[in-house]
Amino acid sequence: MGDPSIVKIVGQKNYAKLRSVKVLLVGAGGIGCELLKNLVLMEFGEIHVVDLDTIDLSNLNRQFLFRQRDIKQPKATTAVRAIQHVSNSKLVAYQSNIMDTEKFPLSWFSEFSLIFNALDNLEARRYVNQTAQFLHLPLLESGTAGFDGYIQPIIPGQTECFDCTTKETPKTFPVCTIRSTPSQPIHCIVWAKNFLFSQLFASSTSVATDEDLGTEDPQEIERIKQETNELHELQEYIKSGDNSCIPDIITKLFVSDIEKLLSIENLWKNREKPTPLHNFEISNQLNTDFSSVWTLQEQVNAFAEVTKKLMKRLATEKEIEFDKDDTDTLKFVATAANIRAYVFHLPVKSLFDVKQIAGNIIPAIATTNAIIAGLSSLASLRVLNLLKHIPPTDPKDLYMAFTAKASNISSNRYLSNSQLATPNPRCPVCSIARGVISLSTSALKSITLGELLDAIRTKYNYPGEVSLVDKSTQRLLADFDFDDLLGKSLSDMKLGQGSLLLVADERDDEEELKCSAEFYLQLDATGNKLRLPEIEVLSFKPQAMSPQEDEPDYILNGNGEIIIDEDNGDSRKRELEDASEPAAKMAKLDDDAIVLLD
Amino acid sequence: MAAQARMRSAKVLLINLGALGTEVAKNVVLSGIGSLTILDEHEIVDEDLRTQFFISKEEVGQKRLEAAKPRIQDMNPRVDLRTDVDNFKRKSESYFEEFDLIIGTDLSREEIRTINAISRKYNIPLYIAGLHGIFGYIFVDLIEFNAIEEKEKSSVATSLGVISQNREVVEVTDYVDDEKSKAFEKVITKHIYQPFEISLKQATLNGKLTRRQLKRLTNAVPLILALFDYDSDFSKLNTHNLKESAVAICKQLGLSEDNLRPDYIEMFVEQAGVQFAPVSAVIGGALAQDVINILGKRQSPLNNFVVLDGLTLDMQIFEL
Repeated sequence: MGDPSIVKIVGQKNYAKLRSVKVLLVGAGGIGCELLKNLVLMEFGEIHVVDLDTIDLSNLNRQFLFRQRDIKQPKATTAVRAIQHVSNSKLVAYQSNIMDTEKFPLSWFSEFSLIFNALDNLEARRYVNQTAQFLHLPLLESGTAGFDGYIQPIIPGQTECFDCTTKETPKTFPVCTIRSTPSQPIHCIVWAKNFLFSQLFASSTSVATDEDLGTEDPQEIERIKQETNELHELQEYIKSGDNSCIPDIITKLFVSDIEKLLSIENLWKNREKPTPLHNFEISNQLNTDFSSVWTLQEQVNAFAEVTKKLMKRLATEKEIEFDKDDTDTLKFVATAANIRAYVFHLPVKSLFDVKQIAGNIIPAIATTNAIIAGLSSLASLRVLNLLKHIPPTDPKDLYMAFTAKASNISSNRYLSNSQLATPNPRCPVCSIARGVISLSTSALKSITLGELLDAIRTKYNYPGEVSLVDKSTQRLLADFDFDDLLGKSLSDMKLGQGSLLLVADERDDEEELKCSAEFYLQLDATGNKLRLPEIEVLSFKPQAMSPQEDEPDYILNGNGEIIIDEDNGDSRKRELEDASEPAAKMAKLDDDAIVLLD
Repeated sequence: MAAQARMRSAKVLLINLGALGTEVAKNVVLSGIGSLTILDEHEIVDEDLRTQFFISKEEVGQKRLEAAKPRIQDMNPRVDLRTDVDNFKRKSESYFEEFDLIIGTDLSREEIRTINAISRKYNIPLYIAGLHGIFGYIFVDLIEFNAIEEKEKSSVATSLGVISQNREVVEVTDYVDDEKSKAFEKVITKHIYQPFEISLKQATLNGKLTRRQLKRLTNAVPLILALFDYDSDFSKLNTHNLKESAVAICKQLGLSEDNLRPDYIEMFVEQAGVQFAPVSAVIGGALAQDVINILGKRQSPLNNFVVLDGLTLDMQIFEL
């Protein structure tokens, strides 16, 4: 039984292909939930989802596959379970770190036809990008920050990779840092604003106690109930409007919750332990200077006073949103953050500073994630050449896309697109030749480092002066005046499954040098003693390495709109019409911007 | 915040729970809208299972609205969700009066005309959206809307006056942000909209795009407009008559018919009215984002016709 709607788009033959395609989705958060839904509805044959995280209350207002009852459950398995009712695909979930090389060796990745990145951090993005380069697997990269978002197909060897342009690093924090182990004042501010304040005064997720918990396990039910009750208790305090509850609120937040954290001993092995706020008192002494740093007593007094005020307001307003210009909400967030900072022995900030920082926290926006996930899944059909009527596409004719109107780049484009660029020859990742060396377990013991190096040198035409580095441990194994280890066997050197070796041409004063090459060691059970990959290692002229910026063919006018130089005859550049820069820079934020993790 | 309070008290009507309706419902319910009413009379058919995620295989044959309701409500128990298994055309005009905003999906030209007449009569903002396979569109009629934007002042001050066919800057106020000690300006832009039928009949791109933009314009624009000639009955659609309609639209818009591509015409003939999940995610996401924006009254709204070309991932906004 075919599916009429998708068959009209891909055709009968490609539909059969689509049903057998196996894809990897890395991340089941904001973009990931949306992508999983799209990929399932598109009927990809097999979808594997990897996410290390568990669900947090703050995810519920945008990660639509998750419910209150799912809090603390793994994202990947919960997402898969929540979409199962419409799925025609084989779904496999892993609650793991994608960078876990034991669980996910390179050979595991090679089973997929396409990887979708739906990640929120640079490290994992880079890792998956590099993995895709090793295996020459197409990768669909995506990202959002507030209303800004982009997607970028990456075809290794043919188009720009994730690391071809420098990335601005938005400051992102994992949920557990915010919740349990703050190490900077900003962590306390994010906690106060995005967790505490929004739960107490602006929670769009009500705490239902009689909801179907979706489990029969009594321990599970107990856990969920406890979670729910604790939050419920705080919300009840606030809703009661009873000022005598305020010391109880302070005790809950800064004593009992902290004691609970202290009981998890693992957290404090390498960290300074927090000190609960025992024996606090509330007095009437208030500081009104917003630019000075208040004493602990002044913070506690102000916290009590402003909580009283907000409780009163809540009775008539029903719900209060944080607004940095609403002094009550600012004072609440600043004093709560500062008291927490005292508890964790961190520097305390003035109200004025907190206002600046809190105003720069960019919230994740559900609709941006939906749009970007839609684009990523749509682009995948073209990357896999599955669209009917469209002949196989040269990778350089594929498009990346990014938000334009919402990002104030253009007023007459909702999205902008641009054709993919060719790889940057100076890219530290994709300018390196990459391949997999397969060898048998016995070869690990019998082959020496010197023999391996000679084999590599001969096969790829490297000169005598090369260096060999174990990238996994950053150890130098050999170079022209360090040959002590060459007689050791690979297993003596602790090299084996998953080791990364980097070979580099170390000659001086040569006009042309060989590019570096990176090799992944893979144990091969089929009996090959040693097999080197069929890859080409190019040469380059070191002189050409000096950076030379291209002249832009557009200018930004004062309104943030883009004016294209009409007379520029370069056809490739013209494709950038109305676009500004590659997606990488699209996601660029203010220096102070802080993006919350999913 | 006033914006959030307005969201909480807003009453939105969504017509039809197809692929687009499903995406829109998900997005506005997550955003914490006050009340959402969904009108849909359809029964679940196999086809729906490939574009909608609030229903399941076991529910084929049931009313899709009834099957979907518990899953929609489950996302956010605080939204006042009302469902009505009915067709909007059977409702009396006064039924619509209570809504702050209407979203129509999967509607024929005739139906768009009907709902637009009602939205105009009661002065209700209207969003219309539709899908054709890997292509999609949004049409917006807010009647009149003042967008307020605050931005850092550039070397050239924003001046009053008409800036495009449908937009006019009506107020500019300068102020200084003491904390950042920078000059800012608050700009009020009045957006003026035309009803759908008038937009369609008078639509032209003459003078709105540069020569090169005209040349690069996606075929999806004339072809989506041409499909309105068929009033959602695509049974007689073929490459020959679609091309004829598209040539006429090109003339009206001021586009060269030579740019019409056979592969696009072919795709539109096959994909007319086809619902496709990724496209409905993009269109439904963009539509909901704008709805949330104008209910909170912040940035400039969509004005007034948006077209997605799913082949090139280009999505342009046109003032028709």
